[in-house]
Amino acid sequence: MAEEVKATWPKGEEIVSALLEKAPYAEGSVRRERRLEFKVPADRIVDFLRTAKASGFELLLQITAVDWPNEGEIELVYQLFSISHGTHAMAKTRVPRDDARISSVMDIYPVAETYERDAHEFYKVVFEGNPKLEMPWILEDEDREAGVSHRKDFDMLGYVKKKYKILDRFDEDKENYVI
Amino acid sequence: MVSQQELIREARENGMELLPLEKDTYELFFGPQHMATENYSLILKMDGHRVVKAIANVGFLHRGFEKLAEYRPWHTNIALLLRICVPEPDVPEAIYSMAVDEIMGWEVPDRAQWIRTTVLEMARVSAYLFWIMGLSFKLGVYTAGQWAAAYRERLMALFEQLTGGRVYHIYTIPGGVRRDIPGDRWLRELKDTVEYIKAKLKDFDNLLFENYIAHRRLEGIGVMDKKFALAEGVTGPNLRATGVAYDVRRADPYLLYPELDFEVPVLKEGDALARAMIRRFELEQDLYILEQLLEMGPPSGPYKVQDPRLKNLPRLKVPAGDAFAHVEATKGDFGAYVVSDGKNKPYRVQIRGPSISHGVRVIEQLLVGARLADVPVILMSLDNCPPDIDR
Repeated sequence: MAEEVKATWPKGEEIVSALLEKAPYAEGSVRRERRLEFKVPADRIVDFLRTAKASGFELLLQITAVDWPNEGEIELVYQLFSISHGTHAMAKTRVPRDDARISSVMDIYPVAETYERDAHEFYKVVFEGNPKLEMPWILEDEDREAGVSHRKDFDMLGYVKKKYKILDRFDEDKENYVI
Repeated sequence: MVSQQELIREARENGMELLPLEKDTYELFFGPQHMATENYSLILKMDGHRVVKAIANVGFLHRGFEKLAEYRPWHTNIALLLRICVPEPDVPEAIYSMAVDEIMGWEVPDRAQWIRTTVLEMARVSAYLFWIMGLSFKLGVYTAGQWAAAYRERLMALFEQLTGGRVYHIYTIPGGVRRDIPGDRWLRELKDTVEYIKAKLKDFDNLLFENYIAHRRLEGIGVMDKKFALAEGVTGPNLRATGVAYDVRRADPYLLYPELDFEVPVLKEGDALARAMIRRFELEQDLYILEQLLEMGPPSGPYKVQDPRLKNLPRLKVPAGDAFAHVEATKGDFGAYVVSDGKNKPYRVQIRGPSISHGVRVIEQLLVGARLADVPVILMSLDNCPPDIDR
């Protein structure tokens, strides 16, 4: 299947090979037409995105954090879009869960500051060089202090039960709430 | 000119206490109760009536949709995620469904593609009418706004006939759409509505888009250039107003858009007036697209994928994988990144709303030096939609 897809979009192969020539530390592939994927080591992400921006990926659409507790890693997916090539690309990198830190890319894409604040708030990833990480973002102060996060091991129902106990809406023993 | 000391003395004689001004600047909390900001707040540092510094204060609409989606079966998330974009709820439905379709490997049937495209374009028209309402209220041209709300009502009625819901439709599902078009009468009514709104565009021009007052209010405020807009991740009409012809429907075509004929309007000025005019031209293009779709007519065939797994939706399992899908919303590039680990619930859903770029950093920079009276106008010209940011 993968072979067929590659054959149908030779332009993507050209973009990937041109980019990998400048960034040999990364791995790249064509997923389908207008969808590329790159795997980058965490310590080279700044270099990679600088190269990518120079090769025509003008827009950084989002930084998505995905928690993989079984592997002990947090995956950061940089969603890039190239207007000149007309293609989307994902740059995936992984950082360890216990010490999730990575360099900020706001020198390359200034908008990353906002995305990094979001990923820091919900996935506790520290982006070194971003001055606004500790500024109030979406969560309330009390939730922030209680350590609310979107990581998989955070007991959301337990926290909600504790927080809204005063409203008497949640039963301590009941587990199968329909959310 | 009465000195400050005299004023304080005069106030004291009348039994009042007037405190001397210690600083030249003051802080103004603009929103979230302010009508112009809609559940969004700006902390403005003001010098007289000029903004010195602006800080976006977001989070009033945070409901944790992305986390909640991880606890619910795949199809029930439609009823949750569409609340991320209130004026055009079909966009989050469509992007989530398109991402799930891609992971499942489903080829959506032609009829479903036609219906999805039509629904997205109807949503665009209704969102633009909603935006005209907002802009005209902020400029003080109330008549145009009331007309726009009335015309939008016609589309709401059509949505109700099609989906059962006026505002939130819960219509586009993974694999197709939830039910078929009610009949030819609905298509005729949609055609009438498109013609009706098209005929009324001239009135909007006379009253709003060619109005001297509107031009004076919009021209030259909130200016951004091409380089700034690209670096800040601005998309949609706001980017096209700076001279970049980036439209997802052209750059990364989806559904029936490759077959449709439409123009991508581009202006170079980058100010609030250019952004407003781009939206007005796009409204015209969207009506033209709807005309083409109606002329094409819905293809025959099923309206969702013929897959036995769709029979038992709560137990629908999506194979492990991830996909990114995005569409062109009236606010910009709306994207969804969906990860599955092979269970009957998503592993991770992230929605990329366009306002996360122009509603936080861009607005903070555009407002510097603006007059207080222009703050709501700049916000409206960017078409900021706070639920995108908060999710």
